[in-house]
Amino acid sequence: MNRSAAVFRETSAEPRTESVPFSHLSLELGHLYMEDFVEGPARLRRHFAAVRPWVDAARAGLGPLGTGRRPRISTCFLIDDYFSRLSTPAELIPPLLAAAADAGLTIDYLARESGCAVADPAHRDRAELAESVLHRLVESPPPGSNGFRPPVSRTGWLTNGRRAPARRTSAALDSTGTVWQPPSETGARGHSVFMDVELWNGPDDDRTWSCAFLASVWQLVRLGLLRDNGRAVLTPTPFDDQEFPAEWDALPPVLRLNPQAAPFTAYVTCSVLPARFLPVEHAVRVILDQVHVEAEALAQIAERSAAEGFAVPAGVVDRTSYVFPPGL
Amino acid sequence: MDGLGTASGPVLVCGEVRTCLLPTRDAVDERAAVELLRLRADERVRVSRHPNRHAVSPDVLTGVDCRLPTATGARSRAVGTVTARAALTEGRVLQATAYFSAPAAGPDRRQPWGYYLVRPGTLVPVGRLPGKALTEGFLTGHQPGELDIGSVADSLLARISRQHRILDHDTPLTTADTSLRWTAAAAADGEETSLRFTKAEDGLRIVELRLPPGTAPTAAAELCEDLALHDWLLTTVADKLDGLRVGSEDGRAVLKVLRPLVDHLLHLWMPQARVDGALHTAWRELERTPGYSRQWNALAQRIRDQLVLQNLGVPRQALPAR
Amino acid sequence: MLVFAASDKGGTGRSVTSANLAYHLALGGDDVCYLDFDFGSPTAAAVFDLPDVLTEAEERGLHSYLQGKTGKPFRVDVWARTEHPDLRSRPGGSGRLVLLPGDRTGGEFVTDEENLHRCVDLILGLKREFDVIIVDLSAGRSYAMDLALVATSPRGGLGRLKTRWLVYHRWTRQHVMAAAELVYGKQGIVQAGIAMGHRPDALNGSTRFVRAAVPDLESPLWSQVSPAQYAWMRKCDKELEQLAAGRGIGKTRVLASIPLEPVLQWQERLITDEDVHDRRIANNETWQAMGDLAQRVNDDKFWGEL
Repeated sequence: MNRSAAVFRETSAEPRTESVPFSHLSLELGHLYMEDFVEGPARLRRHFAAVRPWVDAARAGLGPLGTGRRPRISTCFLIDDYFSRLSTPAELIPPLLAAAADAGLTIDYLARESGCAVADPAHRDRAELAESVLHRLVESPPPGSNGFRPPVSRTGWLTNGRRAPARRTSAALDSTGTVWQPPSETGARGHSVFMDVELWNGPDDDRTWSCAFLASVWQLVRLGLLRDNGRAVLTPTPFDDQEFPAEWDALPPVLRLNPQAAPFTAYVTCSVLPARFLPVEHAVRVILDQVHVEAEALAQIAERSAAEGFAVPAGVVDRTSYVFPPGL
Repeated sequence: MDGLGTASGPVLVCGEVRTCLLPTRDAVDERAAVELLRLRADERVRVSRHPNRHAVSPDVLTGVDCRLPTATGARSRAVGTVTARAALTEGRVLQATAYFSAPAAGPDRRQPWGYYLVRPGTLVPVGRLPGKALTEGFLTGHQPGELDIGSVADSLLARISRQHRILDHDTPLTTADTSLRWTAAAAADGEETSLRFTKAEDGLRIVELRLPPGTAPTAAAELCEDLALHDWLLTTVADKLDGLRVGSEDGRAVLKVLRPLVDHLLHLWMPQARVDGALHTAWRELERTPGYSRQWNALAQRIRDQLVLQNLGVPRQALPAR
Repeated sequence: MLVFAASDKGGTGRSVTSANLAYHLALGGDDVCYLDFDFGSPTAAAVFDLPDVLTEAEERGLHSYLQGKTGKPFRVDVWARTEHPDLRSRPGGSGRLVLLPGDRTGGEFVTDEENLHRCVDLILGLKREFDVIIVDLSAGRSYAMDLALVATSPRGGLGRLKTRWLVYHRWTRQHVMAAAELVYGKQGIVQAGIAMGHRPDALNGSTRFVRAAVPDLESPLWSQVSPAQYAWMRKCDKELEQLAAGRGIGKTRVLASIPLEPVLQWQERLITDEDVHDRRIANNETWQAMGDLAQRVNDDKFWGEL
């Protein structure tokens, strides 16, 4: 068989988007900074105790499905090993799991934030997830964008509207006499809440991704919307009763800790988070609103959820939800 | 996206193709071609090796929200995304295409952006699409502030041209870029597939297509890329031969013009290499009048004959006068 | 090839000589494009005898393009549009000659990253189409010059293009000193270039001087002067040569000397073969000097480190 012809056929005709299994809901049991872990087990227990009632509420909110069947719900927890690494997995994870268990919660899946940034160590040939998502951003055009002047993009930043024009000339030199204009939010109701999100900084070949951007990647991963050349990414690795390693990089990016867990990826997500993450999650929504996900991935979800009689919102950002409980 | 003229598909597809010589001394190999066209990290460059080497980038989208060009001057706004992609033929000729599909009507106001992102490459009119006026207005050219998809193609070309590790910007011959602006609508019942090709000033070509209902927008774009590639080849070679003083004493001057054509362009002529079978009729019309392949073959033969004569090294004045 | 035409002062004949250079290169078969980056006072349209072009270029000239007001700068085919009677029929074997005019209402502007990208995109596009791109810069260390220096620096995007800098000056004390200062001074091209990442040896190797309106004491123009005048002028000439050598712009760094040409004193225009041989209004030496300049710009032998 001619291999070249096969390459062409594969790309033009054959379906090539790998499908992934889906829960109905992916429930995130909070988020902590490394510094919080250092405070000790009491701090962790307080965290999960505050999360618990809202987890129950989120489960109840989903209710029994129309078919009378119980919804599939998986829980997850994201550890920030990207911005700082104060401790090792062996030291940090067992107390975390114990504190969750004390509150009657099971962490089905444990993920590392680095997994959203760098290439999967098991698949070195693949692109960094964050970079793939960066290339999938399609900026929402403020009215008047006609293709010639795309929204003035500032490298590494993304907005929900139109920036105030930069003063590029001194008044004496500017023949057009431009006056200052305020920034504006596209589609604002009356007044603007303008947001400008930093996606990364540092040199092009060694970027440091922002917390908001990695959190957006995390949402897309949980929603099962990312692929690398059609292949599923961050597929959970079973991790049953093993010792946790001393190095973060020795830990797979997503672990399945509970063998009975429903699938990691889900039609919709809910995150129970401390209110201090509200600005970050606002930024996540600004980003998610402008990510163009693969049509085939969307189509697979639409088809499967329809077959289950479960309504999934069309827009990606509408598939995420949050709880910011008091005392967390 | 569903096919052209179907119940759920677009009523009109419009696009613009830029064609130019890749700015390198030599044609690039497949590896370099893939690197040049790798516009997105998570999607591969599609490479085909038969009947010639051809690489196509993943699609990239550009959001727009603006007035549409209309012949009547009627104000009509559309929101959505324009698809752009780049293609490289035999590592030598670079093309950038920007195109969009438009349905007959859309919601009365702009929707959340997510609504448009799940319809990639579609411009949704706010209200009704002024179909005929848009076709005419688009082909005539846009006014300031109106949709300008040529610039989308331009910026893709510029983005690729800035990849200096691969591109030396030292081309073996100077060539002018061309722009081919096109629209495609579904042929009515009983109507034949048709093509109207106009050569305008400054390298602009205008193509109005009527295609079989159900034609995929991508297939229309591929047809127009193929037309643009061959029109560029013909234009470039004909321009180089125009005014060439084969009678001059200095054969080297002639050789300097002809050699690069043989080295870099003559083997590229391959009409319909990747055109959807249903659209071959469009090409057939161009072959009948003005006869693209006929002209190309004549030019190519002339170049080869001249090279043979130059190689024989017989100076013209040495020939017996008549 | 990318050729930047610079000068410290106005009135050095930079624009008119560069236009003649473009004309000679095109006559020799090169496809030539002339960019009028003299944002303060675009004059190229007048030199090429294109009277309507200034008006047509408004809002779509180079200045508007660099500011992002238009996607494609206006371009003019000189052979097709010029009203110069000698140029209307394009000579056989000649290359294309295209002008990208500036807009009159432009004025100077502060360069920023966007201007830089547009400038680089424009020149990379033109590079496919033309053998030689001549960029006429405003006088002095202008914004146009800074833009050119950044664009051609290793990080600027045009770093791989073969680039040549022509610095024009008249043959007087003030002009010689000013030209040397423009290139080698504290605020000069070389220092500014180094700050932008240029290699000083490469920048020096691609910089040459063009002396304009140089009185040739042996020409018939000066045959009527008295012996005292002649001796004084000779002495001045010698002293100037010493001054130039002392400032690093001596003969070895000079690409061409354009003699004082009465026609150009009266009118900034292209000097044609017909002006010299049919009408006999211009000097053959001028025609020759322009031809030499064109030939040497193209000849690697005249370039590189000394």
